[in-house]
Amino acid sequence: MSFTRQLAAGVAALALIAAACSDDDDGGSADAGSEAEADTGADSSESGETVTIAASVPPTDHGWLGQIAAKAQEAADQWDDVEFRLVEAADADSQASQIQTLINEAPDALVVLPYDGEQLTPVAEQAMEAGIPVINVDRLFASPDAARATILGDNYEIGVNAAEFLAEQLDCEGNVVEIQGIAGISVTTDRTQGFADTIEELCGDGINIVAQQPADFLPDLGLEVMEAILQANDDIDAVYTHDDDMAEGVVAAIENAGREDEMILTGAGGSCAAFDRIEAGGLYAATYLYSPTMAGSAVNMARLIAQGRGFSDLVEPEVPSQIVVPPTEVNQDTVGDLRDLCFE
Amino acid sequence: MSTSPTEQVSGVSGRVDGNGRPPGVGRLALPSRVKLQEYALVGVVLALVVIGAILKPDTFPTADNLRAILTQASVVGVLAIGMTFVIATAGIDLSVGSVVAAAGVAGGLVVDSGAVAFVAAALGFGLGLGLVNGAAIAYGKVVPFVATLAMLAIARGLALLMSDKSPISLLGSDGVRWFGTGEIVGVPVSIVIFAGIAIGGWILLNRARYGRHVVAVGGNREAARIAGVPVRRVVFSVYCLSGLLAGLAAVLLSGRLASASPVAGELLELDAIGAVVIGGTSLAGGRATIVGTFLGVMVFAIMFNLLTQLNLATEWQQIVKGAIILGAVLIQRPERI
Repeated sequence: MSFTRQLAAGVAALALIAAACSDDDDGGSADAGSEAEADTGADSSESGETVTIAASVPPTDHGWLGQIAAKAQEAADQWDDVEFRLVEAADADSQASQIQTLINEAPDALVVLPYDGEQLTPVAEQAMEAGIPVINVDRLFASPDAARATILGDNYEIGVNAAEFLAEQLDCEGNVVEIQGIAGISVTTDRTQGFADTIEELCGDGINIVAQQPADFLPDLGLEVMEAILQANDDIDAVYTHDDDMAEGVVAAIENAGREDEMILTGAGGSCAAFDRIEAGGLYAATYLYSPTMAGSAVNMARLIAQGRGFSDLVEPEVPSQIVVPPTEVNQDTVGDLRDLCFE
Repeated sequence: MSTSPTEQVSGVSGRVDGNGRPPGVGRLALPSRVKLQEYALVGVVLALVVIGAILKPDTFPTADNLRAILTQASVVGVLAIGMTFVIATAGIDLSVGSVVAAAGVAGGLVVDSGAVAFVAAALGFGLGLGLVNGAAIAYGKVVPFVATLAMLAIARGLALLMSDKSPISLLGSDGVRWFGTGEIVGVPVSIVIFAGIAIGGWILLNRARYGRHVVAVGGNREAARIAGVPVRRVVFSVYCLSGLLAGLAAVLLSGRLASASPVAGELLELDAIGAVVIGGTSLAGGRATIVGTFLGVMVFAIMFNLLTQLNLATEWQQIVKGAIILGAVLIQRPERI
């Protein structure tokens, strides 16, 4: 799977970001794109036939998921040829029945961020069989037949990048704590594996992962887990956390213990609160974008697929089947330039 | 009723007779049974401490770690004291975890007006939601499980709505943070508050007429009514108390977290109920013990601390945690039931 991902990643990701950002900050490259595209055919930002797009997402009570909904809505709002509807589901079961209802309404395209990729594969396949193209966001379906196109972040790469950063900062020597997300889901295992593999490869036994505990992406659990870990380890050089929201709790535990000068910490996601801390310097050294803008991109993809068009920046007449968004590192040097990409 | 000994539920009295009577009927039956459970639970706590001291001799049996454990216990502990009163009336409050989040967010909304405003808003909001629970159950005759399950959803929704789904930073309020990180004569504030609530709860349950009423309502509602206990008012009041203490738990948690998060407190209700039941308070009502609840809270807190310190893999943590809970309940069963 990672082979396919990497193949698709390189070219497609950059092209997509250029296309998706055409409405704001990245004006330069978008303009260039439109001009270049004039040679090959229709501009993908021009109005086409009106299409209906439905989106189904898990409950948006987590910072990152809340932004997924917001970014999808924002993307839909910029097109006058899109009728958009977003529904939230409380769990995998209710998301499956929601999607079944949506299939009956026969939208022109369906954007799905599944609660759990495995569990929602059958119902996504039903949608595809009913002739509704499915755009899969973030959590991969188990079968390639379940989606027309997929856009996702690279969780393994987040671990790799964080490991490279910490290896360099620590000169490959020291004790590292890992605070993980929800145990047993692919997001968590990929972020853990990428980190472990890279630390091992770069530093061998130089860096010890002295504690590895899940805190379910929740700030209050991050606080409690880190409090206990701080008690057990009196020499910690770095903390690798899987999520910026959860890291807030971890940071609180470290600061409450007065040990913020002893270690550095990395997050993941790209919350504005994390950006603020990185900018201020000190404990919070870096985070890795796992940008919810991918939901906006998914809506844009859905629109073009439903209209039977491709990206104007790509030569191919159709939308690519998989796009992997790279996890850009946000550190004290780059935080200023990347400011616009953070989410509240 | 007023002439009988008042230690009927605390396990303080030395009576050992009457083991085996149905709960809530023969009050003389209660001391030995509850006391036995408390002794057994002290054994469980000591066993955990000894295991911890052997496996982690440098970092577990330290004063600093004890402070950490008690601080962590304070949030669930405060909830569990309230839950003891609720369960003593044969009720249940499933909403406390969500109420913690909602009360914290309510405080966060007014934190710019100062720490006093934060605390007042958190306590007031918690009490308000508890009041709705109590009114629905005592006067609306809704089953406690259903009423508080509804509140579990409503309070979480309110927390998300009021916070616009993102955490409210409290970094600017030293007053609120004092509840999480401050000290009173060397003891963390949250431990002092937890201790105060536990002692207050013990007095209320064991030394006040109110406590006798609560237990009487849970033991046999009809008998209590005939004996002149204001049943509805008592039932109403325990949910108000539970809501108020959930507001207090929100203050303690927010102070430590330096933010009010709408997703805080998930599944806290299960830890609180678990601690109360492990402690020996009967889910059927009519038998309650604050000392047991305190010990139950400590079992959970020590277990969490120790398992995290040992860095056990999650899957093993779950299995060990379940086994300890089951073991704790099994060894405190009286020989004759």
